[in-house]
Amino acid sequence: MNALNIALKDLQIFFKDRGAVVQLFLLPLLFIAVFSGALAAIGGGEDEDTRTLLPVVDLDAGVAAQTLLDSLDAAGGVRVERYAQEEAQALLEESELARVLTIPASFTTGIADNRPVTLRLVNHPDADPEETEAVRLVVEGVAQDMSLESQIFASLQQMGEMQANAPEEFQVFTVERTIAQARNQFERSRTQPLVAVVQTLPGQPEGEREEMPDAIQLAVPGFTVLFVFLTAQTTALSIYGEKKVGSFRRLLAAPMSKASLLAGKMIPNFITGLIQTAVIFAFGIIGMRLLGLTPMTLGDAPLAVVLIAVLVALCSSGFGILIAAIARTENQIGGLSSLFLWVMGILGGCFIPLFILENFLGPLPKIVPHYWANHAFNDLLVRGLGLADVTTEMAVLLAFTALFFVIGLWRFDFD
Amino acid sequence: MSAILEVENLVKKYGDFEAVKGVSFSVEEGEVFGLLGPNGAGKTTAISMLTGVLPPTSGTARIGGRDITTQMEEIKKFNGLVPQDLALYPTLSARANLNFFGRIYGLRGRELRERVDDVLRIVALTERADEAIEKYSGGMKRRINIAAGLLHQPKLLFLDEPTVGVDPQSRNHIFESVLRLNRERGMSIVYTSHYMEEVELLCNRVAIIDEGCIIALDTIKNLIALLGGGVIHVGLQQVDDALLTQLSALPAVKEAVLLPQPVAPPLAEGEESEVKESEPVAAGEVVKIVAENSQQATVDVIGFLNDRDITLTSLEILEPNLESVFLHLTGKKLRE
Repeated sequence: MNALNIALKDLQIFFKDRGAVVQLFLLPLLFIAVFSGALAAIGGGEDEDTRTLLPVVDLDAGVAAQTLLDSLDAAGGVRVERYAQEEAQALLEESELARVLTIPASFTTGIADNRPVTLRLVNHPDADPEETEAVRLVVEGVAQDMSLESQIFASLQQMGEMQANAPEEFQVFTVERTIAQARNQFERSRTQPLVAVVQTLPGQPEGEREEMPDAIQLAVPGFTVLFVFLTAQTTALSIYGEKKVGSFRRLLAAPMSKASLLAGKMIPNFITGLIQTAVIFAFGIIGMRLLGLTPMTLGDAPLAVVLIAVLVALCSSGFGILIAAIARTENQIGGLSSLFLWVMGILGGCFIPLFILENFLGPLPKIVPHYWANHAFNDLLVRGLGLADVTTEMAVLLAFTALFFVIGLWRFDFD
Repeated sequence: MSAILEVENLVKKYGDFEAVKGVSFSVEEGEVFGLLGPNGAGKTTAISMLTGVLPPTSGTARIGGRDITTQMEEIKKFNGLVPQDLALYPTLSARANLNFFGRIYGLRGRELRERVDDVLRIVALTERADEAIEKYSGGMKRRINIAAGLLHQPKLLFLDEPTVGVDPQSRNHIFESVLRLNRERGMSIVYTSHYMEEVELLCNRVAIIDEGCIIALDTIKNLIALLGGGVIHVGLQQVDDALLTQLSALPAVKEAVLLPQPVAPPLAEGEESEVKESEPVAAGEVVKIVAENSQQATVDVIGFLNDRDITLTSLEILEPNLESVFLHLTGKKLRE
């Protein structure tokens, strides 16, 4: 009960300190807004079209040409943009365009008459060879599909005409019915292709983009973890303040145990950490939507997200006791907090995505609790995993919490 | 009357340093007991052990019949502590501070409100109870600091240097409060201070503590009687045993001894010795003369020295008070 009294008093004091409230609640929102914007700008944004531009000069403007353009756009890897012939030629010469695909004027009639037609893909000499090759494969693939479709329709048409001369009892399949069936098969081949074309960019391993979360999915849990751990400094300063003004002595002389006293000093950290998480996540979901940006999602296991948030707040509280036990002066608390909490935040993936950090730091980030907290949030929020998939992270966070408490209590100076 | 506090050979060590060196004393029920000593004498450490803030290294004490080494949790309900520091939360109001400390002692609801109002009346700060402590003057903060120690109506109250940094008006108010608590509510009080005037005004008995030891303990009257008919400090160029014997033989003199001179710290290279104007310069040595009658002894000593052409470099007749007693017992001033 006395622990709660101390906690309520500390929360009352904390919420009177506007500077502290700004630091712990508004600063993370500012960081998220800035960092998610920056990450989106360097390729983390969901809305950016990263497909290769394919400028097209459509001299035909017929149905078949439109079908070809739609097929190219839907094939993946290229983004079709129409240009006038003269404009495209000029931009190609000025190196403003890397290539131009020209659809001849006789394209639709040629397809309809089952005559050979030629698409012309002109590449600039300085165009990226790999990109050129990728575009060529896409265009050839779509063109071959159209050729095949056209040829099969023509064959079916011919077969139908031949079947028309057969006796009536043998006419099970009409020409219209056969063609409709064929069209259906082609439609399915477009929506459910047997072979998918994936374009890879130079230096970017295949599959990497699939794992990279949206900027907001990355920034919200990252800064939540960072700032919840930063409340540890508030706990340490609060304990130091009590010792400095002498109220710690007064509380030690009161009928309460030392455990209650320390618990009372930790509970505000824990509650503040949970409120921080709620505020930052609410900003990620509601605030980003209000700002017209892509909101974050809570994944498929919101209960697991809550559990991780509780563990992070608990671990931060333990770390606050540890700092209070180690540091002897206000300056030491500030110095140690800055050193440990920010470095651990950077190392633990609060600023830089973990898969990038691990590429150049190897297993080093695993030595800080921030890593496990971020890993758990990424598993739940980005990869859509469930509670059972983050048990290792939860166990490690609990172990860190226990370690901080044990060292903190061992080193704590009640005198 | 029975003893509410009995201290037996209480010791506190920090490594090799012994802050409290086996002190023993007792406080009677309804008594205001003074612990007088300079800063660093061990007063606060002794109180910390008696209030459960620090564990003793050895020795024990019984408060209200309970042992501090085994029954401190019960004793804490019985004790009140007003620490030397302003142990308050500056951004909270006086009432919020008192409500908090009251709840820590288990007070709730109407009882808590009544106790808070009561202690605010005692320290005469009801009108400003809802202002933040940080807006208070030093004296007002001290008064609320005392109020916070009274909420649970302790039987034994420890007041640790409660007037440090306080203006004269607030100091008088604190004295009145202490006396009223003792007389009207029968509260036993242990009052520590390095101001002998406060202890003389408030306390029935006084323990003089220096360097972790109690060097005298008695009523103020008896302690002052240690000075006999008075004490005179006589500064001379040179003193030998023959001179001390001759001075001791004078009719109004009980005893003449050489006063140990304080050892000055060594001067750093290039540093010059500095003499403060306000302090008497005692070139040579100082003889402490314990007199049967200080006026007659002064006349006799000056006459004796004149007859022998011995130059007097300083003369100080000590007032009959606790400051003089402390000087008499330790050779140091209380505020050194």
